[in-house]
Amino acid sequence: MALSKWTPAKIKSPAVAFGRQLFAVPVVGMNKPDDNKLMERCIKGDRQAFEKLLIKYEKPVYNAAYRMLHNPDDARDVTQAVFLKVYEHLDQYDPSRRFFSWIYRITLNESINWLKKSSREEALENETADKTSGPEQQAENARISEGLQAALMTIKSDYRSVIVLKHVLGCSYAEISEVLDISEKKVKSRLYNARKLLQERLTDQGLH
Amino acid sequence: MAIDPKYVELINADIDGEISSAEKSELEAFLADSPEAQALHAELLALNVSLDSLPGLDSPPHLKHTIMASITQPKPSRQSENTNSVRGLFAAPALKYAATFAAGAILTLSLFSSDRASQRAFDDVTGLVGTISDPVPGGPGVHTAQISQKEVAGTVTLRSSGPILIVDFDLVSSGPVDIVASYSDQTIWFNGFAQLESPGASISAQSGRVTMQIDGKRRYAIFLNNAGDRDITINLQFMSNGESVYNMDIEYAQAGRSG
Repeated sequence: MALSKWTPAKIKSPAVAFGRQLFAVPVVGMNKPDDNKLMERCIKGDRQAFEKLLIKYEKPVYNAAYRMLHNPDDARDVTQAVFLKVYEHLDQYDPSRRFFSWIYRITLNESINWLKKSSREEALENETADKTSGPEQQAENARISEGLQAALMTIKSDYRSVIVLKHVLGCSYAEISEVLDISEKKVKSRLYNARKLLQERLTDQGLH
Repeated sequence: MAIDPKYVELINADIDGEISSAEKSELEAFLADSPEAQALHAELLALNVSLDSLPGLDSPPHLKHTIMASITQPKPSRQSENTNSVRGLFAAPALKYAATFAAGAILTLSLFSSDRASQRAFDDVTGLVGTISDPVPGGPGVHTAQISQKEVAGTVTLRSSGPILIVDFDLVSSGPVDIVASYSDQTIWFNGFAQLESPGASISAQSGRVTMQIDGKRRYAIFLNNAGDRDITINLQFMSNGESVYNMDIEYAQAGRSG
């Protein structure tokens, strides 16, 4: 019997919770045959297959959404919307493409739409990165992570998308090109521009 | 002097691990003669290390259950509505709580079978609606437990409001799950039930025991009259297909003595 000793609820700030995470998002093995087999079963109405895809992609999708939105509640809602969209549009899945590129594209689009819907995009681009994030005793790496996330929120969503695909989801140039449906050359230039802007923002914050 | 864009691209490709050996040799030769390019390489490398080290977040513990519960329903005609309704459950405005709880309580009071039902109970629950309309988000007297089972997941919150104990269930299940809440103190009696945005509820109450069923995402609250402000332990048993899938005790201790 599980005995739950009631204690007053402790509300952790997102920043503290964020800083306590020790490990980066594990990069999902983007195995085309396995995912496609699961999708075939999903289309036939197999809920277990959908659940397997959900288990595999829940964390990457949530993390990508979080990095795009910098809000855990929004990231949760977007993650839910992504999987519901996948489920609703199973019949529109193109098996000649890899599943990860489909779901990651939905994730980025849903995140960007979420920002537009909530009219935050413009505000975010003008957002001044928080220079006073975290108390002094906070670990240095958590401070840098917060600064990086704050800087990420100041760049355009197109740039943020390539950074998230590269550094949060671990995609290669070719995979980013597949997800965003742009040339690899464009991927490279977008990544470089995004990094240049990030560097500038971090320099402004005194973090780089 | 600006760095040739060709080498800027090679520097980026190098730190991304997407450079061929021939390109790498070419880049190294260029870097050897260009302090500017060396500085850019070092800066971008440091930035990449920081970006790659961004910590991963665990997704909310009940998200998977919520999603799976959502797809057990008929395919929603408009996905955005579905998402909004979930958001509403997590952050419903106070007035919405009041109205819905009032409707739920009154509806349910006309349905439930209880050997302790009385006019006094009805009056008390009607009065209680005002209390619920000011939800207490946290702090002393509010206790929350998490459940994360394959069959059922979510939170159960216990709070007191004057003589009333409120057990708030915010749960999602993958199928029908019966919840049996039992307590041995016979001076404490079932005082009412409320639900939030649920299509229907099945509940029964007997002395010392309240049984309800959830299927999918549900927000229920049961009210227990604890006029003596007595310490109480409530056992919660979660049953799926007639088998217990989770069992837990929740405890209330008088103010000043609770943990």
